[in-house]
Amino acid sequence: MTNTRGTDMAKKKENLDCESDFKTHEHTGFFDKVIELIPARFYLADETERKWFPGLSKGQKAREKKITNSNLKKARRDRLDPDKSVLTTVDHLKRKLEKEKRISLKQKLKKKKDDLRRQKLEMRKAGIELPEDDSEEEIEVDEEKDDDKSVTYEELRERLHRKIDELKGGRGGSDRPRSHEKRKKTLPNKRKRDAVSEEKTVEDNKAADKGKGKLDVEEAAKDLTFGYVKIDDGEEHGKEKKKRRLSKARELERAMKLEADKKDPEKGDVIAKKHSWKAATSRAAGIKVHDDPKLLKQSIHKEKKRQEKNAEKWKERIEGQQKFKVEKQQKRSGNIADRIEQNKLRKIAKREKKLLRPGFEGRKEGFINEGGK
Amino acid sequence: MGRFKNNKKSRVIVKPISKKNQEDVSHVTGDKIPKSFVFSRMKLPPSVRQLQMDLRKLMLPYTALSLKEKKRNTLRDFLNVSGPMGVTHFLMLSKTASALNLRVARTPQGPTLTFKIHQYSLASDVAQSQTRPRCPQDLFKSPPLIVLSGFGSQELHLKLATIMFQNIFPSIDINTVKLSTCQRLVLLNYNKDTKLIDFRHYSIRLQPVGVSRRIRKFVQNHQVPDLRNLQDVSDFVTKAGYGSESEGDEEAATVTLSSDLGRVNKGATKSAVKLQEIGPRMTMQLVKVEEGLCTGGIIFSEYVCFFRKCGWKEGKREEEKG
Repeated sequence: MTNTRGTDMAKKKENLDCESDFKTHEHTGFFDKVIELIPARFYLADETERKWFPGLSKGQKAREKKITNSNLKKARRDRLDPDKSVLTTVDHLKRKLEKEKRISLKQKLKKKKDDLRRQKLEMRKAGIELPEDDSEEEIEVDEEKDDDKSVTYEELRERLHRKIDELKGGRGGSDRPRSHEKRKKTLPNKRKRDAVSEEKTVEDNKAADKGKGKLDVEEAAKDLTFGYVKIDDGEEHGKEKKKRRLSKARELERAMKLEADKKDPEKGDVIAKKHSWKAATSRAAGIKVHDDPKLLKQSIHKEKKRQEKNAEKWKERIEGQQKFKVEKQQKRSGNIADRIEQNKLRKIAKREKKLLRPGFEGRKEGFINEGGK
Repeated sequence: MGRFKNNKKSRVIVKPISKKNQEDVSHVTGDKIPKSFVFSRMKLPPSVRQLQMDLRKLMLPYTALSLKEKKRNTLRDFLNVSGPMGVTHFLMLSKTASALNLRVARTPQGPTLTFKIHQYSLASDVAQSQTRPRCPQDLFKSPPLIVLSGFGSQELHLKLATIMFQNIFPSIDINTVKLSTCQRLVLLNYNKDTKLIDFRHYSIRLQPVGVSRRIRKFVQNHQVPDLRNLQDVSDFVTKAGYGSESEGDEEAATVTLSSDLGRVNKGATKSAVKLQEIGPRMTMQLVKVEEGLCTGGIIFSEYVCFFRKCGWKEGKREEEKG
């Protein structure tokens, strides 16, 4: 029981440790993020010596300005150049820390060396033999590596992917396999196999279908009919004899003849059948077939009636025109005669007016004494 | 007070409703455009009514989509109306206890073909059975093309049926036809053994051939592809994907386009013709051919022996009338 308890506690502790580890990782990640947002020159103490510009002469100032401008340009180009490394604040910080570490290490080593040397001196003084040892050289620390290593395209890509994964929530440290890498591992085998097998089956099917398809297509193409397609050269089915349009009377004769033929005892049936099929086919194609004598008679009758009616109308129209003309002439002549009369009357009246002077009124009608000698 | 005139705002301006007159004669070919009426003289059960609607949609644009028939309308009425309007074909559905009949007739005094429908599927059923039913906007704006297969040219009644169907849909002029107007296809397949005619209605789709599936889908759908697992765009473009099942059929049905169709299919490149079924599906049998419009002598009948038994002869109806 104690064992289990112990393991439980151990597990819990382990879990706690893991958790705390996880938490610290999380926290460090978060802080790294925040630091990265701050540009390096604000976050880290600037170690370069600043030139004091205000106290310089004009010429010196101009020279310094030129230098700073060129420096700025260079810095801008370096910033945007993918070949050169882009150091973030965190990288700067790390470097600084490493430097400090190295310095401290160097100091420690130096101290150790001094101690060793002192010891050796003492020992020599004391007269003890010492073996040759190259510990001094071993402890030599390599010179600081050159920081400006050329970062390759691959490394940039890796960095990008890492950033993407982090954004996605892969903050749980670098131990977890990166998502795209993980997928790359498991999928290719499966996909490849499937793809290969699928391609094979599809190709087989294709080949089989091609063979079968060709046969089917050939067979089917023998017996295909399509809708009407108008081409420029020939005319359509059955519309050739448009010129020969018989008059209805002629058609009636033909129809009567046909009927008589149908009633013929020996070949009547055959003729009837043939004709009905032919008529049906041409009717289906849109050609008008006149074979019913009754209908033809009807239509002839109708046409006659129509003609008569039209003739009537024409006659009426002519009559009406004549009448109208006559009337108008009469009216005209009447009006003219009237006018002449009116003119005459007017003239008379005018003449009479002259003789209407006071005392005379009217024409002389004769002497007052009738007779006379 | 001369200020108070007739205020135009208060007057309601009534615009005359301009009727869209369909052309009678095609400007292109100079032939008369065949128009049709799809109707039934009796009350139909709902699924058959739906079939009638599907047939009307099939015959668009040269048909009356919302034709209303009343009980008191006779065939004579329809004939009288069809003259001035230029309607050339009647498609009549009728249902009896034993059979569902479709009669295809040519109007003035044309022959009538009676088909007995053994089985049918509605357009909605067909669309439901598909995973990606397709109905572009202008699908019914132009008439369908027709393909008849297996009819042969020997038997008279089959020849008549071919001519009848060829004349229901307007002819196309090769020189001036636009590829975008060939959107639908009606297929009639005659089976010699069973004497059944399969009626199918497809929509035509052209797909460019020779591009990989990914690129084609990207160009057609405008959807940004998922580049999560790829290192580089070149992987996306050059990845050899596995082909689809229907690529085998494409080999046989590849055409070279003469002009551009849409954004994807360019002229003078190869495209595959893909048919997707829409519309009703019927299995029918030619049962009777009459000389006149539902009148006249019977010049062909499937069940000749039956008629012979009852003493019917060809053309007997005429004699009775006469």
